Amino acid sequence: MSEQDLQLESPRGPAMGPERPVDAGSEALTEALRSSFWIVKVVMFLLLIVFLASGFFTVEPQEQAMIIRLGRPVGAGQKALLGPGLHWSFPYPIDEYIKVPISAIQRVSSTVGWYATTPEQELAGTEEPSLPITYPLNPLQDSYVLTADRNIVHTRATLTYHISDPVAYVFNFVNASNTVQNVLDNALVYAASTFNVDDIITRDVAGFKEAVRKRVVEMVTRENLGIEVEECLVQSRPPRQLRDAFDSVLKATLTRQKFLEDAHSYETQVSSRAGADARSMVNFAESDRSRLVNETKSQSERFNDLLPKFRQNPWLFAEQRLTETLGRVLTNAQDKIFLTEGAGGIGSAAGNPKELRLLLNREPPKQKSEETRP
Amino acid sequence: MKRNPLILGIGILLILIVGLLLFVFQVRKSEVVVVTTFGKPTRTQSEPGPHLKWPWPIESVHRFDQRVQNFEDRLTEGLTRDSFNILASVFVGWKITDPKAFFPRFAGSTEPIAEAEKVMDRMLSNAKAAVIGKHPLFEFLSPSTQENKFVDIENEILNVMQSQVRANNYGLEVEFLGIKKLGLPQNVTASVFERMQAERKRLADQSQYEGEAEAQTIRAEAEHKAAVVLADAGAKATEIRGEGEAEAAKFLSVFQQNPELANFIFRLSALEDSLKDRSTLIFDQHTPPFDLFSGVSTNLLKK
Repeated sequence: MSEQDLQLESPRGPAMGPERPVDAGSEALTEALRSSFWIVKVVMFLLLIVFLASGFFTVEPQEQAMIIRLGRPVGAGQKALLGPGLHWSFPYPIDEYIKVPISAIQRVSSTVGWYATTPEQELAGTEEPSLPITYPLNPLQDSYVLTADRNIVHTRATLTYHISDPVAYVFNFVNASNTVQNVLDNALVYAASTFNVDDIITRDVAGFKEAVRKRVVEMVTRENLGIEVEECLVQSRPPRQLRDAFDSVLKATLTRQKFLEDAHSYETQVSSRAGADARSMVNFAESDRSRLVNETKSQSERFNDLLPKFRQNPWLFAEQRLTETLGRVLTNAQDKIFLTEGAGGIGSAAGNPKELRLLLNREPPKQKSEETRP
Repeated sequence: MKRNPLILGIGILLILIVGLLLFVFQVRKSEVVVVTTFGKPTRTQSEPGPHLKWPWPIESVHRFDQRVQNFEDRLTEGLTRDSFNILASVFVGWKITDPKAFFPRFAGSTEPIAEAEKVMDRMLSNAKAAVIGKHPLFEFLSPSTQENKFVDIENEILNVMQSQVRANNYGLEVEFLGIKKLGLPQNVTASVFERMQAERKRLADQSQYEGEAEAQTIRAEAEHKAAVVLADAGAKATEIRGEGEAEAAKFLSVFQQNPELANFIFRLSALEDSLKDRSTLIFDQHTPPFDLFSGVSTNLLKK
């Protein structure tokens, strides 16, 4: 067939047909039909290829795709998602593919609760740090939440989640991420309505965050959004109009802690000193006791030793002891002054007492290393 | 012609395709379809997949998104039962549930969804005002779970909405509803700030006074405890000394054998002890053994 086609590829006009001799008109018609059929075939073949090739599509890294076959999504759960790369589906109207701009982790930020600011301002740090207290909040510009104790506070949240059921996420909601954001906003307003201002800002930041998260999870599960919440970050701040007032409370809290720390260190000091004093008192008493007991004991032993000697000759014994003792005492004594009756020596003006004057030049007493006993 | 079967096949295929395009329509999972016969809605099709129909102009297909739509209304002011002005805005998730009812009401406009939301916006304002008026402010804002009726209030608004939507047979259903913003009128915020400032001042003062008082208590208690410890130790020391004296007393009986000697010994050692260190002694000639100098006290020298 194709050989003949090739043969037929000749310029149009009066070609010489070898088969049958027919009249020139019908021959020309046959010729024209043949060549147009050939063109039609080529075109159809090309069309078929184009048709099938149109089923190829690429998925970019930050997106995923799903194939819908005759209106129904192919696959369920995570299997329905096609990752980045080249894919093929039957062309329309059998298959359709839809691209979903979702990465593995989705992020949504709340749109209520924070004052009017832009990320650029925040990054540059040029936002107004404090405002005069007379500056009211316009609810259309600056957003805020009301707390359980009817105060005004700024708070915002960022939620990260991943899509656990893409079919539900894509086919049940026109804009599921928008719904998640609404839910997050609602959770912030709700959680704030159950927390007092100090709990939100300082005392129970984690509890507040958990309340927001819990509410989000609750609603997301109830409405079957097909997502799983990963993380919920919450940031809260007092109104800029009251910045100084809130700072002063913080300062007072710090001062209070300082007071308490000082008091506690004083407490430690006093109690350890008292403990040490008490121990030394008891120790002294202990040593007094043992010294008293030991002294009495040794004296009694000595007495027992001395008693027989004394009984032999009481007078001699006494004299002997006295003299011995005096001898020792005199050896130890630094200054010894012996006075006789009368200035001239023995025998002069006996019985006549004289006035005696002594000038004692003492060295200062030695520093005592031992502590004074109580 | 010899090539007829091929051409015939292609021709049949083409006719089939054209026929399919004319007689079959697809419904996507996310869609619901209303089929109109000469402009009159006759049936709906929400089952995804291919379906048959008469070709245009007998029957034509109108597609609607049956997924949940997001809608949030404007911030409107409402008066609570205890006469507080509050601003509230809510978001709703709604979807078309009955396209046959939805179609004639809204399909006339180019944006049926926006048209439906306009209607809902009106209903929401009324529903919010009605429900807010039934609750005092503490049921919106309260730390106690018994008092805080936040969720109940949301549900009440939702119920009002749902019953109104059903009563009007709009062919749509409000799936969920939540309060998105809760605020106060602008001039009220200034007075709230003043109150908050006063509260901050009170808290700062309180914190300081409490700190001082607590520190004082801690110091006083510490001193008291120290005094108790010292007193206990003193008592213990006295007791120990007493024990020592009692123990020593056991040896005193020994001295009973000769009190005179005992006394003598005690006095000797006391004398020795008292003159141990850096003392100056002054004697006269009558003190033994210096009486030897006068030669009177011993009989040995007189011989």
